[in-house]
Amino acid sequence: MSAAEADDRAESIRMIRDSAAAVVPPDGDLKRVRALRFQAPGFDPAMLRQMGEMGWIGLRVPEAMGGAGLGLGEMCALAEELGRGLAPEPLIGAALSAQLLATAGGKGSLPKLLAGETLLLTAWQERADTLEAPGTPEAPRRFLPMAGGAAGFLLPVRVGSRLSLYELPAAALRVATEPTQDGGHFGTVTPPRDLGRPVAEDIGTALADALDEAALVTAAYLLGGMERAFAMTLDYLRTRQQFGRIIGTFQALQHRAADLKMQVALTRASIEAAAAALDAGASGDARRAVVSRAKARAAEASLLVTRQSIQLHGGIGYTDDYDVGLYLRKAMVMANQFGSASLHRRRFMTVSPEVEE
Amino acid sequence: MDAIRIPPPAELDGLEDEHFRQVVRAFLHENYPEELRNPPKRLHWAENKVWYMTLAEKGWLCPGWPKEHGGLGLSPAKQIILTEEYERHGVARTNDHGIVMLGPLVIKYGTEEQKRRFLPKILTGEHIWCQGYSEPNAGSDLAALRTEAVLDGDHYVVNGQKIWTTLAMDANWIFLLVRTDKNAKKQEGISFLLVDMKTPGITVRPIINLEMHDEFCETFFDNVRVPKENLVGQLNKGWDMAKALLGFERIFLGSPRQSGYALSRLKILAERMGVWEEASFQDQYARLRLEFEDLKALYGTFVDRLKRGQSLGPDVSMLKIIQTELFQKITDTMLEIAGENAGLLEPLDGNRDLNIGGLYIQARPATIYGGSNEIQRNILSKNVLELPG
Repeated sequence: MSAAEADDRAESIRMIRDSAAAVVPPDGDLKRVRALRFQAPGFDPAMLRQMGEMGWIGLRVPEAMGGAGLGLGEMCALAEELGRGLAPEPLIGAALSAQLLATAGGKGSLPKLLAGETLLLTAWQERADTLEAPGTPEAPRRFLPMAGGAAGFLLPVRVGSRLSLYELPAAALRVATEPTQDGGHFGTVTPPRDLGRPVAEDIGTALADALDEAALVTAAYLLGGMERAFAMTLDYLRTRQQFGRIIGTFQALQHRAADLKMQVALTRASIEAAAAALDAGASGDARRAVVSRAKARAAEASLLVTRQSIQLHGGIGYTDDYDVGLYLRKAMVMANQFGSASLHRRRFMTVSPEVEE
Repeated sequence: MDAIRIPPPAELDGLEDEHFRQVVRAFLHENYPEELRNPPKRLHWAENKVWYMTLAEKGWLCPGWPKEHGGLGLSPAKQIILTEEYERHGVARTNDHGIVMLGPLVIKYGTEEQKRRFLPKILTGEHIWCQGYSEPNAGSDLAALRTEAVLDGDHYVVNGQKIWTTLAMDANWIFLLVRTDKNAKKQEGISFLLVDMKTPGITVRPIINLEMHDEFCETFFDNVRVPKENLVGQLNKGWDMAKALLGFERIFLGSPRQSGYALSRLKILAERMGVWEEASFQDQYARLRLEFEDLKALYGTFVDRLKRGQSLGPDVSMLKIIQTELFQKITDTMLEIAGENAGLLEPLDGNRDLNIGGLYIQARPATIYGGSNEIQRNILSKNVLELPG
């Protein structure tokens, strides 16, 4: 990339971050997020529409298909800002569906999905902690965030040796929900016997690629959340007094804060390197290796940073009224989505080349 | 390899980065003594002199010095490329304190007379310098140093003791931080003094370290008379000068190279011990590999900053901590999987790649030198995270 291209890119990423202010209040106020917790559907459909209008659902969809045609650098920056504000809208799930429909040639309800008018979620997952979609007909699809608010579902189903994609209205399937720690829910979706005609065929590669992107974008969302929790913790260390001193003067706490800072910095470097590699066209094992690195790091670091944030706050951090706990609960839900740290470590070892000396 | 023309030194800074890298490779291929590649210990002058003199003859000795003083005038970005290629080739460090520390300080703060007197002799290898900063009671708290210099006519009289003076036995000159005002605040009473090691009253005593190597020395000063024109810069400004010289080179303490070397040896050892395929080892190894890859990504962001002409901030301390602690974790893992072989004094099977105990011991000082990791964490918490006190 030339210097001028790099500057343009940085500007594009900055603009995306700024636009996130429409959803994430700059003062860190989480009133909106709190009001949506543990209520159906767990997010604000009007806000999802607004996200559609701003082009976020189709951020990665080519312009010819009605999307914005932007890169993962932009998508990760956006997810990070949303993670900072704990936005509960299922943008990652909606974007995943949009990409599948786009790679299938823009069929089905893509325009309405991009506009945020219709929420379509992709019901691909058949067991915990996996990135494989076997497409077993009639097998219940699990762990689908915000499924209770979806108007319809995309179902990858194995036909012969390939995956076909079916689009079904919510009314055509059985959807059961279980509440999650962050105030949202997971849906279990049971496909009907009769799926009708597929909207696309042979989507295996497209789905695997889209799941990888979703894993990376999830890592970015976790990064935003851990950074905000860490910033709140630093503020607390700078002001809270005990034993007649500001507790941030204690070296034991300073060094722990330094350790958390390094985890945040490694997570950012890992995610940005992965996004840059994918935007530069990394494919196959090289692509999977960088995604796995970023997701493994983000999963572990987000859990570490948020639980240490509780510890460094002391009792106040353990109250539901204080916001730092919301970041812990979000990390608990998202750290293992699109693959846990241990899954990604295993995958990294199978796809990564040797250490370069 | 296709022969790459090696341009004259004055042209090197003008090359395009990738071309420059190829030139460095060709230069090393052509000139570096094969038997000195990847030495297991820091070499003494008698061993690395041949390489120092080759660099001197070819005009490659001082990459960071301006051309007018006989350096290559390379940008930080090119110096990083040069260092990467030296590391890749396994080039040994020379007795480089004159090149890396003293030269730049004299160029920045010295008089014209001092520049004429000292710089050419570094370039010819006539003066080999060592650094007299640390003292027995001034390590991490360096500003507490007590070796004092008292003016007596045209001379300063130096009394005191320095420690960890690397390769002092090989050096014929030493640069010192000395106390010249005992009543000032501790950082404000320190000056910078150049001392000929042949001056009467200097005693050098080697220290055997855990590698059983005499890399460090204690250096004693007993009424050592130093001409007052050997003071560099202003009186009592030595601390500020030494600190101002901590430039972008700090990035090298965080170079992933050391960990990359250790990681590849860990794999060789795991295969030798028959644990490579075990799931529990694979997970252990994956954690180290991921830490290494993410460190490389983070290191890359700092290199990019230098390439854009920015200077490094205090956050560069992160690299040093992450790199050195990863290096140690890798050697810890080697020790753990080696069984009783961990205790061997010599490399397993006589194979230098299986230097289990040696590498474990080599990794220990990494978290101590260059500002201990505890000091680095203090820097991060105060200057990056802005925590109080």
